[in-house]
Amino acid sequence: MTTETIIERTGDKPAKISFGRLWDTWGVTAILILLLLCTPAIAPGFLEVENLQSVLRESAYVGIVAVGMTFAIASGAFDLSVGGQLALTSVVSLMAFSGGGTAAAIAAAIVTGLLCGLVNAGLITRLRVPPFVATLGSLFVFRGIAYLLTQDGPKTLPYSQIHSPFVKLGSLNIAGLPLPFIIMVAVFAGGWILLRRTAIGRRTLAYGSSPSAARFCGISDTRIRLFVFGLVGLTVGIAALTYITRVWTADGSAQDGFELKVIAAVVLGGTALKGGKGTLVGTFSAVFLVSVLNEVLVSRGVESAYQRIVLGCVLIVALTIDGLRTRFAGPGSFRRAITGLIPRKTTQATS
Amino acid sequence: MSTKKILSLALLGTLALAGCTDSSETTAGSAAPSANKKITVGFSVYDMQFEFFQKMAKGTQDAAAAKGWEVKLHDEKSDENEMVTGASALIDQGVDLLIISPFKPTALGPIIAKAKAKNVPVIVDDIGGGGAPYDAIVISDNAGGGKLAAEFMDKQIQANGSKSKNVASITCEPSATYAARRNAGFKAEIETRGYKVVAELSGNSKAEEGYKVMKDILSKNPDVAGVFACNDPMGVAAANAIKDAGKSPLTDIVTVGFNADPEALTAIKSDKLSATIAQDPTAMGALTVKLGEQALNKQPIEFSNAPEREVFNPVTLVDKTNVDSIN
Repeated sequence: MTTETIIERTGDKPAKISFGRLWDTWGVTAILILLLLCTPAIAPGFLEVENLQSVLRESAYVGIVAVGMTFAIASGAFDLSVGGQLALTSVVSLMAFSGGGTAAAIAAAIVTGLLCGLVNAGLITRLRVPPFVATLGSLFVFRGIAYLLTQDGPKTLPYSQIHSPFVKLGSLNIAGLPLPFIIMVAVFAGGWILLRRTAIGRRTLAYGSSPSAARFCGISDTRIRLFVFGLVGLTVGIAALTYITRVWTADGSAQDGFELKVIAAVVLGGTALKGGKGTLVGTFSAVFLVSVLNEVLVSRGVESAYQRIVLGCVLIVALTIDGLRTRFAGPGSFRRAITGLIPRKTTQATS
Repeated sequence: MSTKKILSLALLGTLALAGCTDSSETTAGSAAPSANKKITVGFSVYDMQFEFFQKMAKGTQDAAAAKGWEVKLHDEKSDENEMVTGASALIDQGVDLLIISPFKPTALGPIIAKAKAKNVPVIVDDIGGGGAPYDAIVISDNAGGGKLAAEFMDKQIQANGSKSKNVASITCEPSATYAARRNAGFKAEIETRGYKVVAELSGNSKAEEGYKVMKDILSKNPDVAGVFACNDPMGVAAANAIKDAGKSPLTDIVTVGFNADPEALTAIKSDKLSATIAQDPTAMGALTVKLGEQALNKQPIEFSNAPEREVFNPVTLVDKTNVDSIN
């Protein structure tokens, strides 16, 4: 966002729309729409109501946490521990449900998620551990605790609770839309307002583009870390609620590899890995791009091993484009990025 | 500014999607299934990477094909999320019957709730039922397998000429309730034959722990004449511990495992394990189809254990004499 404003003010044609800038926010959305338009031809049955509902419901947990992760990556940090947080939060929430019902389960999920986030923030700001390492460590710790709590077997929602409002959280449709998807849209809307319309959101982006410059402007490291990692924890708490009401069970192994799915969606959406730029619209589209692509591959009978390879390649292509765009930043960057793919003398590339 | 536009467009898209779901819902509702259409059975399988489940799928598919049914296969890929999503999708696609070997039995709840709402019978194949109201669950006759192991062990100990009437039993992890029946069945049978189970210890289903547990047994009860392990990794590990202690897992301490894993079959062929118990996943698959047909026709199912709606599938003993006939 900061770069956008600068270009607008210094360019001789203020509102000049370049393909590169359009691509930044719209690229993934355009690809998603293209893919959706192709689905009737390549995956018949995809557009059936129940299948669409299933895709929306499925995308909720990755999507909700991707909002928090967008903030983390925009601030220049990763949170690798979200998978562990999700497992632990889910287990604690299910335990609270068997003790105190729906309200207790919801409260436990939110509180546990927030606590996990604050632990991460504490490790980073008090013990001065880099976020990547701190959250890699806490990933194992959180999962480990979840395993400890489920040594006697996974925690579950018993079948006798089928009519409880908690179970409805995962299965209810409102106007044909699954409740977890509605929650996800609400989280995205809240995240968008936080990122674009509040001081702390702008500070997060500023901190991400240059922590030292941000410090000079009086932005506090500790507050940014607390905000970002607390927010990730909060989104994990919300996501855990949609997850356990979907599968009714959780243990230490729940959603193994979750962190990579979330990070992949955020990065694919166009949030810069080096921080300073975050796009929730891109993240939103990327979450669905991944799940629609997965769904299409499954319905085409593609083996799971190839599904992984395809998704990996999509991610690499997206990051290659992003990397080239950053290297040749500024107006007309797209053309230069593409011409830059052809090896030349280095002097020309930097001109 | 541009972001505002994007958001409104995204919302529009969402609404369009909502609109399209609603409209197609009515069309889907009107296309009611005709009464005498071909029966479609959905089979959600634990993980097709494992030979056990490949055989189970083959057994299910062949039995269904023999009845002229169509089979939709779904691979859970050892993931509870995939299990719930894929099995729910099978129900959405309008299968008449759902057969499932659940990766996480505790995640059967939402699947069976959905199946009940659509009047789709659910037959569980192996692993566990997770306390959900399935129509029937097919499991190997675990207690019967333990009994077979005891019969074989008694015969072999007598052939070895051992004087000792002491044997040992290694159990799986405590939460594996079906597996615990193997050791219980073994114990009941071996005791009626006049033996005493002097040690019953858990190796948590793991080879390393099975090895350690066997070492402990050997130091505390060096006179044991036989050992039964709840699974093959522990059985083979126990046999290795016996060999490392300078004894034979065939003639000194009769060692029997459970499951007929490839490593156990190899060990039996090379005289490193006395015997194992083979489950028959192909027959289990066929049995689920038979029970499914009964459930579809509202016929009573004959349960081996009625309170848990369990139907047992027979197991066989594999030793040096018949190991080559097992593929």
